[in-house]
Amino acid sequence: MFEKSLYDLIRGLRNHKGTEKEYINESIRECRKEIRTNDMDLKSTALMKLTYLEMFGHDMSWASFNVLEVMSSPKYRHKRTGYLAAVQSFRRDTEVLMLAENQLKKDISSATPTVIGLPLGAVPHVINPSMANSILSDLLPRLTHSQASIRKKTVVTLYRLALVYPETLRPAWPKIKERLLDEHEDPSVTAAIVNVVCELGWRRPQDFLPLAPRLFDLLVEGGNNWMAIKLIKLFATLTPLEPRLIKKLLPPLTKIIRETSAMSLLYECINGIIQGGVLEAIEGSTEGEEVARLCVGKLRGMMVIEGDANLKYVALLAFEKIVRSHPHLVSQQQDVILDCIDDPDISIRMRALDLVVGMVNSDNLTAIVGRLMRQLRNAPIASSADDPANDRGRAQGVIPYAESDDSDAEESLRPAEQTSNQPPSLPEEYRVNVVRRVLEMCSRDTYANITDFDWYIDVLVQLVRVSPATKAASALEDDNDGHQCDDAGRRIGRELENVAVRVKSVRSEAVEAAQSLVLIDRKDQMFPASGNGGQGVLECAGWLVGEFANHLTRPEDVINSLLHPTALQLPSRVLVIYLQALPKVFANISANDQISWTPARKTLMSLLMARIIHFLEPLSTHPSLEVQERAVEFLELMRLAAEAAAGTETGAAEGEFTEPPLLLTQAIPALFSGAELNPVAPGAQRKVPVPEDLDLETPINPNLHNLLTQADMEGFEAEDDDVYAAYSEPISSYQIEPQPVSAAERLDAPHKEPVSYQNATEDEYLDPDIVARRKAERKERYKDDPFYIDPDAQQGSGAVTPLGSIVREGNQELDLDSIPIMDLEIESKSASNEDYSRARSPRRVVKRVEIMGDETLGSNLYDSSRDEVESSRPSNGKGKKSLLQVDSSGLGSLSLSDEESGRKMTKLDIERKEQEEAEMKKALMEVERLRLEMQRASERLEAKTETTVKKKKKKVRKAEVEGAVVDMGGGNDNVTEGVDGEKVVKKKKKKKAKADDGGEGAVGEGAEEGVVKKKKKKRRQVVMDEPAEATDA
Amino acid sequence: MINAVLVFNNAGQPRLTKFYTQLETSVQQRLISEVFTLVANRPNSACNFLPLPPLLASSSKSSAPTTPHNDTPSLVTYRHYATLYFMVISTSTESPLALLDLIQVFVQALDGLFENVCELDLIFNFETLHATLGELIVGGVVVETQLDKVIEGVKAQGRVAKRPVNEGKGGLSLGGFGRGDGVWTGR
Repeated sequence: MFEKSLYDLIRGLRNHKGTEKEYINESIRECRKEIRTNDMDLKSTALMKLTYLEMFGHDMSWASFNVLEVMSSPKYRHKRTGYLAAVQSFRRDTEVLMLAENQLKKDISSATPTVIGLPLGAVPHVINPSMANSILSDLLPRLTHSQASIRKKTVVTLYRLALVYPETLRPAWPKIKERLLDEHEDPSVTAAIVNVVCELGWRRPQDFLPLAPRLFDLLVEGGNNWMAIKLIKLFATLTPLEPRLIKKLLPPLTKIIRETSAMSLLYECINGIIQGGVLEAIEGSTEGEEVARLCVGKLRGMMVIEGDANLKYVALLAFEKIVRSHPHLVSQQQDVILDCIDDPDISIRMRALDLVVGMVNSDNLTAIVGRLMRQLRNAPIASSADDPANDRGRAQGVIPYAESDDSDAEESLRPAEQTSNQPPSLPEEYRVNVVRRVLEMCSRDTYANITDFDWYIDVLVQLVRVSPATKAASALEDDNDGHQCDDAGRRIGRELENVAVRVKSVRSEAVEAAQSLVLIDRKDQMFPASGNGGQGVLECAGWLVGEFANHLTRPEDVINSLLHPTALQLPSRVLVIYLQALPKVFANISANDQISWTPARKTLMSLLMARIIHFLEPLSTHPSLEVQERAVEFLELMRLAAEAAAGTETGAAEGEFTEPPLLLTQAIPALFSGAELNPVAPGAQRKVPVPEDLDLETPINPNLHNLLTQADMEGFEAEDDDVYAAYSEPISSYQIEPQPVSAAERLDAPHKEPVSYQNATEDEYLDPDIVARRKAERKERYKDDPFYIDPDAQQGSGAVTPLGSIVREGNQELDLDSIPIMDLEIESKSASNEDYSRARSPRRVVKRVEIMGDETLGSNLYDSSRDEVESSRPSNGKGKKSLLQVDSSGLGSLSLSDEESGRKMTKLDIERKEQEEAEMKKALMEVERLRLEMQRASERLEAKTETTVKKKKKKVRKAEVEGAVVDMGGGNDNVTEGVDGEKVVKKKKKKKAKADDGGEGAVGEGAEEGVVKKKKKKRRQVVMDEPAEATDA
Repeated sequence: MINAVLVFNNAGQPRLTKFYTQLETSVQQRLISEVFTLVANRPNSACNFLPLPPLLASSSKSSAPTTPHNDTPSLVTYRHYATLYFMVISTSTESPLALLDLIQVFVQALDGLFENVCELDLIFNFETLHATLGELIVGGVVVETQLDKVIEGVKAQGRVAKRPVNEGKGGLSLGGFGRGDGVWTGR
């Protein structure tokens, strides 16, 4: 039997150009056979080949047991192959992992250093929580192995163990620390430990403060740049906890900045100074200014260094971190940063774009946006099809194939030479990003930076022309809500809409712009030549031309465009808007009652209506319900109107004035005129007071119970809709009514469900003009009623009307101070907000609405209320884990400060704890967030002039409060969890302890403490009334 | 920490894949092809940092974009040598410039082991390739950055095979380089 070695396999691959697939399949078949033999050499070779093919995506999970077999071979060569295969192919659900445990333990305890190295490298890849504890006992002795290479790998492996099962760190940490503190330890072991501590450090910095002196010595000693970088990163997380460190660190850091030849170290020094809050701490002093100048100067130097794009990139990264705290420092470097916006490298551009958004102000906005617009306009639109290699990788995945040019592979790995240097065309994603950023910059703080709105409208129109095509436009038909945000066109539309509504002074310009976008004859001019880019804007433009039809300069052309046959092809959500706009524009054209109803006028109107009817007719069977409904509604309306127009006699004589039909001049326009639409803050709706006479207790239908039981008996779902209820309602319920009410009165009671379908026919037996008059009267009657939501009014305005009325009514009817403010809790969450105290006063709440009604820019409170809404939304995104992410959050709740581990755990305990930890993660995050916000709020209250003694006192008291909050959080969590059945009490206890830990960690982050810390901790334990060992859990 | 190390050639063929988290094989392949797509179109003058591939970006978008979580991979660093791309995907706790140096050390170590290393060496000795990486990085944490120690560590594990003689077409001397001849200017 002929056996292939790995070498043969690879050669074979290279020799089977075009038929690799068959060749690979055949090879895998051979491997399956070979791997089952008893010949260990053959087995191992087959495994090697499989591992090689796995790299190209050929599954080898079926061979996991054979992997284990090869791992357990006594020969090192086989073992090595086996371990490599295990690392590459074992997944979380691999069943043989349980069996691998013993093998791992055995090899870790081996006498041969090379053999020990194999499991050390493999454990991080295959470890699971249930194995962790048992492997730990074998790993720990390896920390004192005679070979440095074993020791350093053991340290890292222990870290990975702690990631999957934090409890293991408790026994391991003292030993690792011992290694770190040992000055005679091999430098590479020390470096490895520093790396691990750096990874651990950002989660629980307070546990590593005691190590600071040793770490500082290591930093000053120098020698290893890699380690120095990690040390600086670590210190950046420690300095917020221990402000005294800053003073100590500054001299060595500035020394490194001035002297080092390693750019990476220089950069990380600056980065560390920024991230560690050093700049803030020393601000104001001459030293502080000097350091700031030094850092920014060096960063600037990195930006302008000729030809090193990497430095540019990282400098932008660093600037991005400063821009939030020190915008003035960054804006001094505006010139170089702005240049990066036009950098040929997309990565750099993206960074610069992110940065620029942070530093924009009213002075430079026009310039920055101008640059970006120019970029969009001039760059060619990229298509991914340009690159064939690119396509191949995407379409079919990567298949090992014979190299097209063998000599290629023999080229030594020298850095590639610069071959092409042309600026890349802009990828779609970047375009979308630019559009988004431009809109973001301009609309920031309700257009705080915009001084010239005409300019902004021009920008918006221009953006439409350069906006990228939407992906899979055809698929967008109906289920497009998820894609909303990605559509650049729609974003632009939203802005246009926003400007038109908020800024009255440019409303006509905005509508003019919308008009030009809607007009069919200008389509080629307004939109990108190729693709469907920017079409999303039509949705908002359509709404604008309808809503503000009186601002239109060419209403006839607009209605022609709306009626254009191509409109039928629009996505349904745009079509819906168009349908709604249609009668509005029509009403605007027809409403003028100053024009005599001459034959010419009559013909014109009739024709127009005929065309609208013709357009609407096919849509009444449109697959989208939204479209269909509107089409049918307006179709009937138009038919009525057409009838009315046909029935109205025209004026006989020339100069004589004849009244046009009332339906056209009064009724239809009345449908669409109402209170003006104003921007409403997201939280405003909630603040509308509940009217006193609103009785939510009284059943809508007194007979409801009977209805439901009857429905149940008939075998229908109890929650049937009203239609069903209306049908199945027993006749007797009608007889309960005291006496027949007139149809009109019944209609007038909008809060009542339609009792009978007879009402629906009212329109048919009343003359249209009467219906119209009725409606108008009703409108008049309820005009001042803030709680009446006009059923005829367009959706959006319906919601606004009551608010607008409140504003108009002022304080006459409502006792404003008695308005209950709901969701107090939510407001307290956003306590960090500047407007906190003001926003809480009820008077203010009403005023906010008022401002929005009157002010062109909307109220500045708008943003605060938006925050409220956002904060009230559950942050469900946090739970999502990135693909490659190694979750280390378990470590965050593990305190290392208490050296002795408290309790032994059984397997059951371990499993239960894992579950709890997952739940705790969520709870902790929430608690921490709340706590930080509270802390910020209370810090603001603290007067700065307080003496240190007072401060200390206060801190202790704050700790109490925090403890209480944390407690509450834990308690809540238990409640939401529901009854767990067993051991609720115990669980709760543990949770509290955990929450306590989390709280501590967070306290440390924010506050400047140190000496106070110890005291506080003790104090809190008293306050929390927690047994000491529970804290250790 | 480091989340993944990838090596692939100019055509997107993987030469080394090492993920420090357990990922399905198919997802691995998708990630490789996404990263390749990102890197393939870049001119050589461009910087060595990539935006996140869609597979990674989509899931991290949900968290606050301004402060990337320290656990989420946020940095894609690469270097291009002749026919090969060396990529490192890492979290924000790693230093971008230091990662570039790390890739440099990796390639230099390979060069020291194979003497004038080329893609073919890596294809035929992928076990050694893995061993070299294993000396540099364990479980996503860098354990060694000193070149001689890395080489020493690999050599301790056994003889490093030489390139098959008949495979080379005699073109071995193509543009070789020695260490320290100025090509490897460290940062």
